[in-house]
Amino acid sequence: MKILRMAWRNLWRNGRRTLVTVAAMTLALWSMVLYTSLMEGMLGSMETTLLDVELGEIQVHADGYRERPSIWERIEDPDALLQALDETGLRSTARLLGGALVASGDVSTGALLKGLRPERDALVSEVHQRLDRGEWLDPADAKGVVLGYRLARTLAVEVGDELVALSQATDGSMANDLFRVRGVLQSLSEETDRATVFLLEDEFRNFFALEDGAHRVIVRSSEGQDLAVAAGLVEQAAATSAPGVEVRSWRDLLPGLANVFDSAQAAVQVVAFVVYVVIAILILNAMLTAVFERIREFGVLKAIGVSPRRVLALILVEGALQSALAIGIGLVASLPALWFVTTRGIDVGGLGGTAIMGVAMDQIWTGAVSPLTIAGPVFILLFVAGVAVLFPAIKAARINPIEAIHHQ
Amino acid sequence: MGAEPIISLRDVTKVYRQGSVDVHALRGLTMDVEAGEFTAICGPSGSGKTTMLNLIGALDAMTSGSIVLEGRELASLNKKELSELRRDRIGFVFQAYNLMPVLTAYENAEMVLWVQGVDGRARRERVMALLEQVGLEGMENRRPSELSGGQQQRVAIARAIASNPVVVLADEPTANVDSETAETLLELMEELNREQGVTFVFSTHDPQVMERARRVVRLVDGRVASDERR
Repeated sequence: MKILRMAWRNLWRNGRRTLVTVAAMTLALWSMVLYTSLMEGMLGSMETTLLDVELGEIQVHADGYRERPSIWERIEDPDALLQALDETGLRSTARLLGGALVASGDVSTGALLKGLRPERDALVSEVHQRLDRGEWLDPADAKGVVLGYRLARTLAVEVGDELVALSQATDGSMANDLFRVRGVLQSLSEETDRATVFLLEDEFRNFFALEDGAHRVIVRSSEGQDLAVAAGLVEQAAATSAPGVEVRSWRDLLPGLANVFDSAQAAVQVVAFVVYVVIAILILNAMLTAVFERIREFGVLKAIGVSPRRVLALILVEGALQSALAIGIGLVASLPALWFVTTRGIDVGGLGGTAIMGVAMDQIWTGAVSPLTIAGPVFILLFVAGVAVLFPAIKAARINPIEAIHHQ
Repeated sequence: MGAEPIISLRDVTKVYRQGSVDVHALRGLTMDVEAGEFTAICGPSGSGKTTMLNLIGALDAMTSGSIVLEGRELASLNKKELSELRRDRIGFVFQAYNLMPVLTAYENAEMVLWVQGVDGRARRERVMALLEQVGLEGMENRRPSELSGGQQQRVAIARAIASNPVVVLADEPTANVDSETAETLLELMEELNREQGVTFVFSTHDPQVMERARRVVRLVDGRVASDERR
């Protein structure tokens, strides 16, 4: 109790220095809480975009399709596979994929046509909810197609405009048709934004003269289900219903991005650590100055029999009190900032679709709050402050009383 | 005379290394201090007064010889034991008072008792009695900056005797105060010595202090040049 009282009073002997130190620690904590929240929000949104809108957790392709995508390499009986997957409780949908040249007016570009059944696809993908303008596919509007954000810009088309598609059909004939732009997607990913045209499955089959089969089956695991377990179930289902296919989790499909997600948390901690190292230098400087100013006092304490342990504790408590102040003020100050980034967010739409490793960020960058948002920055601050204050504390504890008492 | 000495120094030498030169602060100093003595150590600057007090106070280690305090050879004690010895058996009064500026008079006087682990109520009784004894009643809540030099030294004396030490070592205790204050401080120390049997050993240049001492030991070049008892 006496150590606490002494430590508290010692802090206010040079109030300005203490305030500067606490202010720096507070600012570091505040900015790291905010940064952690924004990073968690960004990663969460990217993961949602990646899994809920684009990939699903697991994909099934015909053997060899991924190495050499071709309209002829397909899962022969996708309905049997979908039914088998339904029986395991996993949600799934089939998609048909084919390359084509799309044109509007004088502008043309290569695109990937994706054929799907809207009702079934909606069970698996949220892509239908990510429209920037217009409407999603509707079986009542057979020629309606939905374009990626940048593709629409490249072709200079708007909702309601006509779009010509040209390709080679599977029967060797020239495939060509006229479609109408029904909707334009938000920025989702590099592939979708630049070169994807969604259309109804029946229109895809008509266009490519493809009677059966599908190129990709997207599978969603249940909430909280282990990815390996889900992949095992898909493999079992595929073994009987669709032999000769390849089952891959999204981690196998995009190992680089999986690593980004895995290491993102560590990256947040590293950035926090670097910020705090700067703060640590400030704390170290402040505490060293405080110790040098009071060398005589430590000498007297040692002379009258105060143990080195108690002297050490005195300095550590001074550091702990400053940290506690910074944590208290920093967390209170973080609340309105966290409220803002989690409810309002930051509009990054002006950046024209920011993407990280091909996965687009939402237009409104919102933060997320988890126990780690608070605990991570607080823990690192305590650790760094503890390390910074340890050196001056040891120095004070090891002071030679005679030299200290006669210190000028 | 004839009582068992509480402090016994035998052939004590202390050599400091200053750059490449050996400085002989004490050269075979031998003397005893008995319980209840009021001893002044005097001598010119560099004669070894402060070094001697530092060695008796277990603040420094001698180069050779023997110092025995209450039957314990200081050279045989480790750092922890020396620290406990200083805490429990020795009181210190410094020339520059050396009070903790963030603590009140009461808290400064209480410090050693707190370090000893004395319980709160006993500490309070003891410290209030001490402050009354040194003439600081009513000033217990003042910090050193709110006290005069003489009052600060009284607090330092209260702190030094709080744990009932076997000896109080005072290094030029009146050097920083005016002669009138020095007189009252000396009266206080004499009173504590006479009425409570507190043993004082103090270094001084001050003739006023030497006059009041009942034993005056004069050091010259690290040796006892004279030892006068009154």
